[in-house]
Amino acid sequence: MNLEQALNRYFQFPSFKPGQKETIQSILAGRHAIAMLPTGTGKSLCYQLPGYMLDGPVLIVSPLLSLMQDQVEQLKGRGEKRVVALNSFLTPIEKRNALSSLQNYKFIFISPEMLGTRLVINKLKSLRISLIAIDEAHCISQWGYDFRPDYLKLGEVRQVLGNPATLALTATATEEVRKDIARLLKLDSWDEHVLSVDRPEISMSVEILGQQEKLQRAFELVSNLQGPGIIYFSSRKMAEHVAAFLRDKGEQAMAYHGGLDQESRILIQQQFLNGQFNVVCATSAFGMGINKGDIRYVIHYHLSLQLESYLQEIGRAGRDGNKSLAVLLYAPGDEQLSYQLAEAELPESAQVGRLFALIREKCFEPDDVEENAEFLSASCGFSETQWRIVANFLKSLRQEPAERLKEQIERFAEKRLLIKKSQIENMVRYILHDGCKREYIHYHFGEKHCFEVTNCCSFCGLDFVNFRKHLASPELPIQYDWKKELASMLLAQAGDFNE
Amino acid sequence: MALSYSEALFLYCFKKIKDERTIYSLFHLFQGKKSSQTIQDAHLYNLTPFFQAFPFLTRQELESKVISLQNKGLLIQKAPEHFILSDKGERELSLFVTRRPMPPRYLDGWKYHHLTSLFWQRLSLLVQVASNLVHQKRQFIPVQNKQETLDWVKDYIRRQNLSREELGHGIFKELSHCLIQCEGEPAVLVRRLTGHDRIGLTSIQAADELEMEHVHYRLEFLNIVHFILHKAVETPGCFPLLDGIIRDIEKPVPFTLSTEKTYQLIKKGYTPGQIAQVRNLKLSTIEDHIVEIALHLKDFDLEAYVPKSKQERILQAAQNTSAKKLKQIRDQVADANYFEIRLVMAKNGDKS
Repeated sequence: MNLEQALNRYFQFPSFKPGQKETIQSILAGRHAIAMLPTGTGKSLCYQLPGYMLDGPVLIVSPLLSLMQDQVEQLKGRGEKRVVALNSFLTPIEKRNALSSLQNYKFIFISPEMLGTRLVINKLKSLRISLIAIDEAHCISQWGYDFRPDYLKLGEVRQVLGNPATLALTATATEEVRKDIARLLKLDSWDEHVLSVDRPEISMSVEILGQQEKLQRAFELVSNLQGPGIIYFSSRKMAEHVAAFLRDKGEQAMAYHGGLDQESRILIQQQFLNGQFNVVCATSAFGMGINKGDIRYVIHYHLSLQLESYLQEIGRAGRDGNKSLAVLLYAPGDEQLSYQLAEAELPESAQVGRLFALIREKCFEPDDVEENAEFLSASCGFSETQWRIVANFLKSLRQEPAERLKEQIERFAEKRLLIKKSQIENMVRYILHDGCKREYIHYHFGEKHCFEVTNCCSFCGLDFVNFRKHLASPELPIQYDWKKELASMLLAQAGDFNE
Repeated sequence: MALSYSEALFLYCFKKIKDERTIYSLFHLFQGKKSSQTIQDAHLYNLTPFFQAFPFLTRQELESKVISLQNKGLLIQKAPEHFILSDKGERELSLFVTRRPMPPRYLDGWKYHHLTSLFWQRLSLLVQVASNLVHQKRQFIPVQNKQETLDWVKDYIRRQNLSREELGHGIFKELSHCLIQCEGEPAVLVRRLTGHDRIGLTSIQAADELEMEHVHYRLEFLNIVHFILHKAVETPGCFPLLDGIIRDIEKPVPFTLSTEKTYQLIKKGYTPGQIAQVRNLKLSTIEDHIVEIALHLKDFDLEAYVPKSKQERILQAAQNTSAKKLKQIRDQVADANYFEIRLVMAKNGDKS
């Protein structure tokens, strides 16, 4: 059976997307691989198909619970039952059950923190893991756009598990980050399959304007551009505010952010997928794991914290391959908000001081610290992101004196802040770059080739006429007849409900 | 200037509690705090329908509402945190309630608060699943993502033993029969439901769509849900599918845990003094529990705590004094203590 036949048999796809086949060939030949494929081009297929063709289970390391859940559901939706997810959401009983029957699964998803326990490692060692796939592999590098310290142990985990074939997957990693990935995963040799981060179907525009003009400009864009579209914000409040403003002006806009209750989040996301409204005003909480092909524009009302996440976010446009537009609205001084956000993600020295004072005061032993994590985190006012960093250091409380640990955390935060600041500066350089925007991206990712793109960017020239509204926005029924609606939901023939 | 719905609602509640309770007693009522004080107040002032009506209300929101009512000259501060309606407030409110019933007719937070959100989670998921079954759509993302709700719906559908069409038809029939009988606007609920080709609205979207204030929408929504619950619980034979949604959790209103323990001891014949000793609690705490029990159990006999004749004298005194201040009653029934008065009032709160 050749690869195309296998693809057809297991996934009913006629052909591979760029990069997939080469990556899979490396793995089947028993070589390690680093694959950089843009989001939405089917990265998960690169470990799923080999999973069916190799003996033994595939271990997939995934950093985000929601992403993991999406992938698990996707696989199950296709009828694959041998899927299990090991993460901190499992109750102790569920965890025990999953571990004791681990040999029955083909696809084992695991969060990095679960790889820290000996019980799990020993169980994994007893299986013959055929492939380790590391999703969002850029998280291992502090130069990557979402550094996760607990990814650092993956190199060691690989070796303990007997150096099985390893596939590092990422959508955005500069050359420097890719080198970091190989080094930290302790790969001796590997194949690299790198697709350009450049998406020629997306035209890239940067508009520099005054703070007061932004709202009006956003409205202009929304009312003239063909939807559906996304507007990204750094603040929940602004997302709400602009959505309300646009609605007042007659646009079908909704806000989406982490502050909404669970039910509203699901509904709004699904309404957008289902084409029930046109513009979503969102924070970065929106978009992970959703696949909507026909998004025609992405507007940034605030700048992203790195060029990498900017590309991820605009990459949600034009998945269907049709022309789309990315507009970044920048008012001088916007980066101040970015600096504040970057700082807020790191533990503050005062919080860290309070934490260790509290541990001393309560005479907590390392075990107590683990058990009272919630209490400690809340008393020191750590956010989830901050606590994840701190908790990772606290694990070494057994080996290191508290005083040294405290210093380490502070040094870590300082260093991270410098890196984050330089990433924001890079973002601003992109905005102010007096040349082709696409070229800047190529340069940043160390890509050489450059091809002609019509309507390339705001420097090369781009005509907004190409993105003008031509299809009417979806319309809501004018007269709402509840009984008719209920009948059309629940009856096979909606006509005969007036019995 | 006519009152907005939320203004009328808050004025209505202040009118009930007069200046005898603070604005925070309303806060606890809306939150649905399970303390003896809140529960007793809800009964004493006939505000049980609103119990847990707005669990997401914040103190700040309530405070700013009160300030705005003051600024409009509808509410007057009598003492810190205590308010009464101004003449204008009284006038506007009485005008308002001629147009709209306050509280909404079927609203019964006290009776159904423990069923409300669970019922909604299950119903909304059930309708979505049934709709997709009827229209043979296999892939969809559930609108509720709690594993226990997902498991419940699977189990529920299996237990019905109906074909897809029968299930959809059955739910349609029961729901539409219920909604037609209810005086509320059915769209308040139906708009929120998700089917095979349309995703339901969030509560804020539905409120905007129907041009209702959010507070108003919330009460109308609860009104309809409570009506359905009422129908399902009282006449399960007519609404077997709807009743089935909550049959596993229809318990009598649960006591707070501590009260439950006291209740068990009372049933064994212990006196309040003995219970206080056994449980190592203050007598006044046990008395609070007994008042809570009296609020819950219609057939709870007070005879053991207050002789019949004294009960009648207390009730008489309560009717003579407009305010529900215990002290005024006490002045008239010199041989009654506060516990006895509270107990009788708890038992008869809804009638006076």
